[in-house]
Amino acid sequence: MTPTTTHPTRTQTTEPTPMHAIRRTTLLALAGLAVLASGCETNKVSSPVVRFDRQTTNYGDAKAVELVTNEFGSTDLQMIAEKMTGSLLETGIFQGRPTVTISTVKNKTSEYIDTTNVMNSIQTALVKSGKVRFTRSIQEMQAGVDELTRQNQSGLYKQGTTAKVGNMTAAKYSVEGELTSIVKQSSQTKDVYYKFTLKLFDVSEGTIEWQDEKEIRKTTKK
Amino acid sequence: MKPLLHTSALRGAMAAALAGAALLAALPANAQLFRSDNAAPSPPAVAAKLATRGEMKGIRVYEMRVVRRNDVLVVEADFNNTMNDDRFVYYRFKWVDAGGMQVGDGEGWKQLKVMGQQVQTVKAVAPNSNGADFRLEFNVE
Repeated sequence: MTPTTTHPTRTQTTEPTPMHAIRRTTLLALAGLAVLASGCETNKVSSPVVRFDRQTTNYGDAKAVELVTNEFGSTDLQMIAEKMTGSLLETGIFQGRPTVTISTVKNKTSEYIDTTNVMNSIQTALVKSGKVRFTRSIQEMQAGVDELTRQNQSGLYKQGTTAKVGNMTAAKYSVEGELTSIVKQSSQTKDVYYKFTLKLFDVSEGTIEWQDEKEIRKTTKK
Repeated sequence: MKPLLHTSALRGAMAAALAGAALLAALPANAQLFRSDNAAPSPPAVAAKLATRGEMKGIRVYEMRVVRRNDVLVVEADFNNTMNDDRFVYYRFKWVDAGGMQVGDGEGWKQLKVMGQQVQTVKAVAPNSNGADFRLEFNVE
């Protein structure tokens, strides 16, 4: 065995060829990219959160546009509440902070929709505006009567601290709502049209003092 | 000698590629995504009320109208699609009081389809009388 046969590679490497130079440059470039990548990795910081599995659950934006299906969703509820609240505040019908009560909210669509939710959002926004006072609705009345009865008839409370019976303020206005839908469907498209109508009645006069609508169209291509 | 010349050229190209990669990594994600279109920019008074994200894809707001009606601020904004392609705009108004604090819980995001060369008007009412100023947040898809 001659030295040239035992170390054939060594004798070859002493003489740089274009192919080796390219390979070396490529390796250098790859190393550079790896350094960059590892640099990005080390910039990661952990979040103050306890989770079982990162991939399963995350909190999202409650106000985000929901496009999962074309059934009635959170975005529809938010859009209806915003439109109705804005319209009511803009008209100036609530001058002098009148009293208002929630009456019926009919769901005339083919879907199960908790219409109380829509009215709750409208009521919350109006109460927070400070422009109006809400009285107990028919659904909320029993709880109020129960509390008055407890204070006045149980004999548990000091005289003069109990809420007087017969002091409730009656509502000047009553709010009535209705949600309807028209659904059209073909093999490739489903179109849903929602219409929410809200009316403000003067209780004593029985007249409609304000009314507005919110229309929503949702189309899904299959 | 010729192959060696090729090698040095390749080396230069590799170095340039490395430098480019480093530059891209250094840039923030938004800067990489942003590409300007040829539409005229919004007037400065309108632009001051906008909070946009990403590429505008030909959507511009050239006009806004503000009025205080029955003690609440009412705003209308016109979304102009300066291009022929339909666009989806995701927008909401953010209300602030005189001190710059946010008023209310924040509006829900809304999706608006603006067809090619169309102008769509959107309207919003402040949640209460404290609303003294606003920003129109939007992005285009």
